[in-house]
Amino acid sequence: MSEVFKDKSQRRGHGARGKEATGRTKDSISTVSYIDELAHHDDNARMAITTENTYQLGPNKRMPVPAVTDILKDVLTSYLQEEKYEVEWSQKMTKTICEVIRARVKELMIPRYKIVVLVHIGQLAGQSMQIGSRCLWDAANDTFASFSFKNSSLYGVATVYAVYYE
Amino acid sequence: MDEDQTEEETAFVVDEVSKIIKESVEATIGANAYQHSRVNQWTTSVVEQCLSQLSKLGKPFKYIVNCIIMQKNGAGLQTASTCFWDNSTDGSCAVRWENKSMYCIVSVFGLAI
Repeated sequence: MSEVFKDKSQRRGHGARGKEATGRTKDSISTVSYIDELAHHDDNARMAITTENTYQLGPNKRMPVPAVTDILKDVLTSYLQEEKYEVEWSQKMTKTICEVIRARVKELMIPRYKIVVLVHIGQLAGQSMQIGSRCLWDAANDTFASFSFKNSSLYGVATVYAVYYE
Repeated sequence: MDEDQTEEETAFVVDEVSKIIKESVEATIGANAYQHSRVNQWTTSVVEQCLSQLSKLGKPFKYIVNCIIMQKNGAGLQTASTCFWDNSTDGSCAVRWENKSMYCIVSVFGLAI
């Protein structure tokens, strides 16, 4: 069985191959960022893989939400427990934590699931914020897990979405 | 082997998605200042509007829409995401929007069925 899924690291905004477009209206600025896969993308897009029927109606094994929450708790506390918010450090740390979480969720070896990991690290400065998400998916098979961590100078939120590939 | 849909209809088109996101954000919080009491309703509304517009595109995708609204206070925020998926069919788009009193970051992930 060939490996269909590929790991993909994503960097927001100013990545090496990132693209940005800025628009300006009266009182607000918006910036769009995404990763462009260069030539690689065009070749693959034309040869979209058609897979054979598996005759499987649902996943054999579902994503265990408590296990994933434990992973998130473990990774966040171990990486952020005694740390203080610093711009350079937290930029690297967000990406590192992302990669670590993804690797550990992959170790659970749940077949046919695609994983999306989101990590936010922010400074505690008396500001207010709200993070919300909605998903359009198959509620019977797809799920998510999230965990938030706080210490005296920073907070960290990690979310993992697991989407079944039919 | 018949191709039910053309290439254009089954790819994740970033421009289209980012336009949808910008419109949703502008419509919901375009002219407002940050208000703690309303932010919950704003995030819900931005995300739900995005999602309903995305589903109207009629593409064979599952979507995850994530929205962060943060008050401007000089505080720093870092966000990163990593995905384990199929590079040729799946994609994502992040839009960062700001006005005088707040930041809004919306990210959309589209995973092919």
